[in-house]
Amino acid sequence: MASAHQENDRPQNIRAIMTFLREHAPFSSMDDSHLAHFAENASIQFYADGDIVLSPDQDVVKRFYVVKQGRIRGERHNDKEDRTETTFEISQGECFPLAAMIGERPTRTLHRADGDTFCLSIGQTAFVTLFAESEPFRDFCLRGVSSLLDQVNRRIQSSAMASIGSSTSLDTPLERYALRNPIVCSPDLPVRKAVARMHENNVGSIIVTDENRIPTGIFTLRDLRTMIAEGTGPLDTPIQQVMTKNPCCLPSHADAFEAAMLMAEHHFAHLCVIDDDRKLIGVVSERDLFSLQRVDLVNLARTIGTATHLRTLVSLRTDVSRLVDAMLAHGADSGQVVKIITTLNDVTVRRVLELNIKKNDPGIPFSWLTFGSEGRQEQTLLTDQDNGILFQTPEGMTAEQVREKLLPFARKVNDELAECGFTLCKGNIMASNPKLCLSDKEWDDWFIRFIDASTPQNLVYSSIFLDMRAIYGPTEPLNDLLDKILTRIRKNALFQKMLAGNAFQRKPPLTMFRNFRYISEGNKHSLDLKRQGLAPFVEAVRVFALANGVETANTLERMDELAKKGVFDPKDANAWKEGYSLIQAIRMRAHQEMLAKGEELTNYIDPDDLNPLDRRILRESFRQAQRLQQKLEVTYQL
Amino acid sequence: MLEQIKQWIEHRRGGKIGSHDPGNLPNPKTPGEQLLTDCRLIVLDLETTGLNPSKDEVIAIGAVAIRGGIIHLGDQFDLILRRPELDIRETVLIHGIGPEALTQGHEIEDALLYLLEWMNGDPILAYHSAFDQKFLEKTLKAQLGYTQPHTWMDVADLMPAFFPNTKTGGKGLDNWADYFGLEVSERHHAASDALATAELTLVALNKARSEGVKTLKGLYDKLHYHRRLQNMHRF
Repeated sequence: MASAHQENDRPQNIRAIMTFLREHAPFSSMDDSHLAHFAENASIQFYADGDIVLSPDQDVVKRFYVVKQGRIRGERHNDKEDRTETTFEISQGECFPLAAMIGERPTRTLHRADGDTFCLSIGQTAFVTLFAESEPFRDFCLRGVSSLLDQVNRRIQSSAMASIGSSTSLDTPLERYALRNPIVCSPDLPVRKAVARMHENNVGSIIVTDENRIPTGIFTLRDLRTMIAEGTGPLDTPIQQVMTKNPCCLPSHADAFEAAMLMAEHHFAHLCVIDDDRKLIGVVSERDLFSLQRVDLVNLARTIGTATHLRTLVSLRTDVSRLVDAMLAHGADSGQVVKIITTLNDVTVRRVLELNIKKNDPGIPFSWLTFGSEGRQEQTLLTDQDNGILFQTPEGMTAEQVREKLLPFARKVNDELAECGFTLCKGNIMASNPKLCLSDKEWDDWFIRFIDASTPQNLVYSSIFLDMRAIYGPTEPLNDLLDKILTRIRKNALFQKMLAGNAFQRKPPLTMFRNFRYISEGNKHSLDLKRQGLAPFVEAVRVFALANGVETANTLERMDELAKKGVFDPKDANAWKEGYSLIQAIRMRAHQEMLAKGEELTNYIDPDDLNPLDRRILRESFRQAQRLQQKLEVTYQL
Repeated sequence: MLEQIKQWIEHRRGGKIGSHDPGNLPNPKTPGEQLLTDCRLIVLDLETTGLNPSKDEVIAIGAVAIRGGIIHLGDQFDLILRRPELDIRETVLIHGIGPEALTQGHEIEDALLYLLEWMNGDPILAYHSAFDQKFLEKTLKAQLGYTQPHTWMDVADLMPAFFPNTKTGGKGLDNWADYFGLEVSERHHAASDALATAELTLVALNKARSEGVKTLKGLYDKLHYHRRLQNMHRF
């Protein structure tokens, strides 16, 4: 009653300011009493076009501003080129300066009015009150863009929840899954008795544990089937002789996503969940994970992994796209989805290789390498082939002789992968290219030339060859090679600087007069999410990763590692990860929409098609990319 | 509890009931060498029962204060007067103040005393100020017997004085507000119109500074010079 009374009795201008604020984050999530506190303590200032609002020459920042109308741009002087650059733009409803206000220091960037601009502002006292009393406000001030990204994620998730009517998410820790009390037995139990116990409990698997309840094996109905069909032994056989040894285990704090990925990779249907002492807590089955979601990743991976004909593989590709669709709809985050796609792609590539070896074994062991986005495990549905072969030259043969055997094989694999939807690489970065089918020694020489004699020309390839993985065959030779490469790069400051300079070239599409800098050729209003949005993150992170001996190729994992090593501030790393993930999510949503419409997949979107919050978040994400580049700039004195 | 809330509301709305000293009201200030970056200006708008000062009455007063070239929302005035006897049928559609609001409004005498105290004798700006000036002076005289002359400035003159070649498509508040892209939250609400007028004033003050007009007197002179120029053109 009292509050309704207050609302009506607030002066008109206070109500109007509150209405204005409510349209913008973080105010949209703040309580009315806090908005009123803001409005009652606010001042309105006018700045004509070009007026300075805040300057590094001024004292400690004492006011917190919101653009009421117009626009503010951040300016920094580039001493090297002696010109002024716009570093950011703040438009209607947005706040500044967050960092300087929180840090109680002068701003580091000149804030200038871009066109006639009115700003609302509150002083330190009101700011401190709101900071202390309003959680959404505090959250926003401390985490800036991250808190906004959370809002979007929550929205996506909640709409996904609404559509499936379930609260199961892939982020759920395994311990929260209803773990059935696992059926266990000792290693010496005869199979007959073990199967009777499974039957009594109506389960498909039994875990074999030692005296400390540590799982030593698993026996499933499928094992029983094989045992009987192949007649491997009588039913009195102790179970330890027929069980699958060393069953796959995950700790209880691992999440459902990790479990699903592990199952998909190894085609298991069951996983043991263990505690910190490796004692068995429960069993999670594929059905537990997916029964509610009807998203059958594991089954699809298994079907691909056991397909016997190329045409089956080709037809399964549509299932992959359908799965991605379902995953997105169920609120899986973009990092998870790209990993799922990569996993399924890996399985497909492996199966194509296996089928070809069966038909026509070249007779020489090799590792199948993937580069670029597949190397980084960041593939989306739009993907082309970037692969190569690493082999060890057998005694008595030359590398050239090995190549003669491997190249026709690789050619066939490349062609068949193309049939499966992995577009042939226009730059011929494929295993069938003699320059990319090399022995360990040759690869090493190749990288020595690449690193020690780098030119701007071959730096273009850094995004491809410095992100690699072996997805088939032995991994040791590649690990040895990577060790040498990383050591060489860490010692070569010049190469690092060149890489940094190269990464710095790709500017995130923020600009002064428009909210986005569109790509110049072709479609006027389109934004290339991959080259303009993701690449600045990927490339900058790569430089830091290589310079600091981070071995993983995945961009998000690299950022985690860099934060662990203290190279990135953890808060920065989080903001960058979120910015990157959001762009990736928007890109994938766009891909799914194009697929649904039967259009050809591209990485271009029209920012005008996005809703205002997404657009703002996209811009915030680009701003994060810019901050990451600034770190690059400072570190390498570009 | 209720009493506390009531007091709080009264305070917020700027109506300190019964605590005025009619014999000791602030004296009006004349435009002198006060710096524009220091002085306080009142930007005011009235809602009335009609356009004729001799027979129509003030029913609402809205005002904001500009100090040092900045509008401080904590320093504003937004009152509906208690005038249940008035006939507002003709204008209710414009200002939206109905008979009920007028019954629940503020005691006139009290409101006017508080207004004078709140204005603190500072110069008053309004859009088409002659209108507001006539109504306010008449009401002050009738209700309080108050006749001290205040300094008034017309924002409708201020704008063309500083932006002489601007094509706004008209001389009204709406024309200038549109030209500068201002959003007026609720047109013909006294406080809301006062805020829009004050925002225009900020634009003019910004221009004044860039043209080297530094004092209140300088601003006042500029306005009169513009007036004279306008009058000359008329002949």
